[in-house]
Amino acid sequence: MPINTSTRNPYQPTPMRVLRAYYESTDRSLKTLELSFENHADRQAFFRKFNPGQFCQLSVFGKGESPLGVASAAWEGDFVRFTIQRMGSVTKALHELKPGDTLGMRGPLGNGFPLSEWKGKNLVIIGGGCAFSTLYALTKHLQYPQNRPDYAQLVVIYGARSSGLCMYKQDIQSWYQREDMEVHQAIDVPEESWDHHVGYVPDVVRQIAPSPDNAVAIVCGPPIMTKFTLPALVSLGFPAEAIFTSLEKRMKCGLGKCGRCNIGSKYICKDGPVFSLAELNALPADI
Amino acid sequence: MKYILPKQDLNALLERWSAEYAVLAPQKSGAYAEFLPYTPRSELCLEEPHNTRYPPKALFFPQSEAILQYKRTTGQLESISAVAQKRVIFGIRPCDAKAVSLLDTVFAEGDNQDPFWQARRAETLLIGLGCHAPCATCFCTSAESGPFHTDGLDALLTDLGEIYLVELLSERAASLFDALAPASSILQENAQAVQSAAECALPKAFELDGLKGKLDRVFDQDIWAQLAQSCLGCGICTFLCPTCFCFDLVDEAQRDTRVRNWDTCMFRVYSLEASAHNPRPTRKERTRQRLMHKYSYWWEHADKLGCTGCGRCVRYCPVGLDIRAMIRTAGAYENEVLHAN
Repeated sequence: MPINTSTRNPYQPTPMRVLRAYYESTDRSLKTLELSFENHADRQAFFRKFNPGQFCQLSVFGKGESPLGVASAAWEGDFVRFTIQRMGSVTKALHELKPGDTLGMRGPLGNGFPLSEWKGKNLVIIGGGCAFSTLYALTKHLQYPQNRPDYAQLVVIYGARSSGLCMYKQDIQSWYQREDMEVHQAIDVPEESWDHHVGYVPDVVRQIAPSPDNAVAIVCGPPIMTKFTLPALVSLGFPAEAIFTSLEKRMKCGLGKCGRCNIGSKYICKDGPVFSLAELNALPADI
Repeated sequence: MKYILPKQDLNALLERWSAEYAVLAPQKSGAYAEFLPYTPRSELCLEEPHNTRYPPKALFFPQSEAILQYKRTTGQLESISAVAQKRVIFGIRPCDAKAVSLLDTVFAEGDNQDPFWQARRAETLLIGLGCHAPCATCFCTSAESGPFHTDGLDALLTDLGEIYLVELLSERAASLFDALAPASSILQENAQAVQSAAECALPKAFELDGLKGKLDRVFDQDIWAQLAQSCLGCGICTFLCPTCFCFDLVDEAQRDTRVRNWDTCMFRVYSLEASAHNPRPTRKERTRQRLMHKYSYWWEHADKLGCTGCGRCVRYCPVGLDIRAMIRTAGAYENEVLHAN
């Protein structure tokens, strides 16, 4: 048995520092943290591996770890962005961090989006709620002048329950001026001075009816949104191989060892979190 | 190579090993046998027909283990280095040694190998004791193992009454036995007979051929609710299982330590998500996960069955659930119900 006893400890986080921290939503349930690396070598190692769609385990020492999708593209700078919904004790502690505070990070973990397979294709990016954060990373990656020519048309459909919960507002507002992409935002119920779509994401997708020709659709959202959006895309003519989604599960190690995120033959953390609908259809219904 | 080890010389041999190695051997601890450090006063439990209650995986993957230390005030991290002492585990049963080699596929292969597992694994020799009298809960021969299987072992002992026949299985174990006399061919034939008799004594618990496909096809059937009906969800089947490896990572804030603890898919909170969604909300889904993981998913992850037939889950289940019967029922359900429709 080949044994290498000098293996580094894969459970050891890299030290990070909060660069910027700000609320994304008016109800203060969503907060964005931008983290900088304490060590140059860690930064290099991170960006060598990083691909949009991957996630990290953020550590608040004394509280624990929480898996969170990366919400920034590599070209944006030497930092890593996360948008965190306040849910339990770790995310509460993450919300309490201020610029200058230290924390731990393990990652990037998981496969990320299969960007090289998508070259030359039209991309339809569909997100709902705070799950849009990894799609924001994807969109930012695609917008980079050196990356953009590799892909054809780009359509982004992003829904939230209310305008107050819409993330990355200023930046997304600027996307309407871009000629290389089409943006659709939606909220669930009408609000005064909201001049975009109103309705649930699956209905908005049906209404916009993106063409399935030479296209892939990427869907990230709460389970109920995903559940109804996937069949909407299928009925528009998207084959299961051209529909991608990112799964979430309770995770601990992020390395395919702790067993928690196992679905059939896959571990979400290691084999995912990004799967095509065709891959999901082949898995047991244990999600 | 095969050698003779007279039982009366065993203590002297273990003492000799103790000069160089930490020797662990099954000894009485309360009502059960457990692997404990050997001392000249140790009373070994080698005549008992079954394995220890506590699974020997714990000797490589402790039930609770510190993996990281930090200073909350400064955010400073202290890695815990994975160092292990040289050890001999004497008297491990073939089912448990095989389980250790199965867990290598989780902790010692591919990316992100586990340094804690590997350090202990590299420094440990496994000296097995074959089971000449398997008990009623054993089903190793149905689960790709056997009472004298050698997977994961550095040497295997066969009990021949007054002596053990020692079969050397690895180079690194050679020095442990170099003072022993070689076994005659008659003794080797005797050992062969003992081994065959033990294998023949074990009835077939289920047919493994085609079982994975059968289980996959009944995944969304109600049979799992029936199988889980009397389950208490206590998780003892998974904690005592020598191949279960699920763990939790927990911060113990009082001592600024991150700890890895055994966990179990039989608990509701295991898969409970922050949104309150639980993909396995009842014992039906959790029982299904336990059985499917061992009897279906392991094949896909490692091309191996994730059970060695050690029988602990059968022996210690407080309500007498028997994995053999559960697997038979689920497999038969496919034949009887799905094919009938």
